[in-house]
Amino acid sequence: MSLENLVLITGQQIDQGVALEAGKTKQKYVQAAGVCKFDKEDFRKLGCLIGTPVKVSTEYGEVVVYSILSEEAPHPGIIFIPAGPWANQLVNPDSQGMGTPTYKGMKAKVEVVENGKVLGTIALLKKYKK
Amino acid sequence: MINKHVKTHTDVVCPFCGSLCDDLEVDVVNDEVVEVRNACKIGTQIYFSSNSDNSDRYTSPMIRKDGELHPATWEEALEKAATLLANAKRPLLYGWSSTEAEAIQLGVELAEITGGILDNCSSICHGPSIMAMQDAGIPKSTLGDYKNRADLVIFWGCNPVHAHPRHLGRYSEFIRGYFRKDGLNDRFMVVIDPRTTHTAQLADLHIKVNPSEDYELFSALRTVLKGIELEEEYVSGIPREQIEQLVEVMKSCNYGVIYYGLGLTHSLSHHRNVENAICLTRELNDHTKFLIQPMRGHYNVAGSNIVFSWNTGYPLAIDFSRGYPRYNPGEYSVVPALLRDEIDVTIVVASDPVLNFPAAAVENMLKHPLISVEPHETPTSALADVVLPVKICGVEAEGTAYRMDNVPIRLRKVKDGPNGLLTDREIMKRLINAIKQKKNL
Ligand code: SF4
Repeated sequence: MSLENLVLITGQQIDQGVALEAGKTKQKYVQAAGVCKFDKEDFRKLGCLIGTPVKVSTEYGEVVVYSILSEEAPHPGIIFIPAGPWANQLVNPDSQGMGTPTYKGMKAKVEVVENGKVLGTIALLKKYKK
Repeated sequence: MINKHVKTHTDVVCPFCGSLCDDLEVDVVNDEVVEVRNACKIGTQIYFSSNSDNSDRYTSPMIRKDGELHPATWEEALEKAATLLANAKRPLLYGWSSTEAEAIQLGVELAEITGGILDNCSSICHGPSIMAMQDAGIPKSTLGDYKNRADLVIFWGCNPVHAHPRHLGRYSEFIRGYFRKDGLNDRFMVVIDPRTTHTAQLADLHIKVNPSEDYELFSALRTVLKGIELEEEYVSGIPREQIEQLVEVMKSCNYGVIYYGLGLTHSLSHHRNVENAICLTRELNDHTKFLIQPMRGHYNVAGSNIVFSWNTGYPLAIDFSRGYPRYNPGEYSVVPALLRDEIDVTIVVASDPVLNFPAAAVENMLKHPLISVEPHETPTSALADVVLPVKICGVEAEGTAYRMDNVPIRLRKVKDGPNGLLTDREIMKRLINAIKQKKNL
């Protein structure tokens, strides 16, 4: 199943902050930041089990992350991905001429992907190092 | 039994977030941290991550050869970094928000002698706040003042439970103040956020604004405050009655403060959101005392703006290519400069842009040589060409940092850290000397 016309917000989370300090290349960091947090009602429409990898895409890119239920809900129509390299595959790099990228408020689509794999921090970013 | 070998450090300052808590206690045995008291989860982790059992810690400089990072001597690594910077046409010097003021000051000199673009992390967080302040000024005070006086606390587009975990307890909400003897019972707390964040779950009033529609809500509040009736039934998803109610709450308090975060600066209207927030705050002062405070993220990001300003006149987005500083956010800001792919060498000090920047900017940054000054393995250091490992400021090195309200606080050193590592400051000095020699300056 898939969901369209969602709004993606990115931001800080405490467990992701702890994982940042504990080691950004460790698995714990992937579990803290490589996730997409859903409103319960939205998630029900997606029809998959909690923890299933999902592909999130925006105009700017796409990435596979684990799906989980948001504790900071309800927020129907909004998905949340903690600040980090997974979120940064999806954010709008444009700053409307003022310098700061637009990290919040992108239109997003979510699909359940068969055998989706959530990449680790370095595996995700290494493709840019030629 | 009392362990005589434990050395307890008190009044330690946490080098993580802009709250810059200065009441930590850290126990150290044989240069290893064994206990941290008073810090939040994140602050505690910083101290434990400095210990020798952390495999992510670099113990020697590294240089990339044949695609892999290999240990090198300080001479080799500094020479390589200095050569890259001295020969660069358009170097970028970025980071600075998680190091101390003296190292930042030397960073400004390094930018001047290399003719580079100098920018700090506020470029991707509260840069819009600074631009708004330059346009509109800002009525603000210090965290101690808010703590003692505020009876209305508004969190707009920020989630301190997650991003500044002790802020509510130390400065803004739960804490007792001189005029707020009963702590949270003496305060009214409003949260304005599209999600029911953990901070919103604690609020007396949660206003669920639509994402990216804060600007309209500020304008509606200003309209009602001026005594004009709203024609629309809903603004930014908020019913007219609730907007009127919020204006009444704001007007009737004795001392209000708006703490705002990246919800305003990271959405489409960026600095215009903040400017509108500042104008609202200013207009509220016709009725009562009202102030506004950005929730700065990294512990010394405010310091990087301040140190840049006192050295160059500008707080961020500075270009030295003509030999003197020029300021133009949007052009010399780090992400737009990378998107134009004009940067040919990057040095990153105390930051992790490979983790934090939008993918398109990371892609261009990694096309060219990258130097990382960093204590731990991070995506930036792991993909860098030269890694210069350092002692951790606030744990293994002293220095000055500026809290989110621009109050300078001296960071403490609680342990020596691994042998053979330099401080950020020493690395800057050595790079400056080496580059001056190469350029005959
Ligand atoms: S609130 Fe911020 S400064 Fe205070 S202990 Fe936590 S991370 Fe450190």
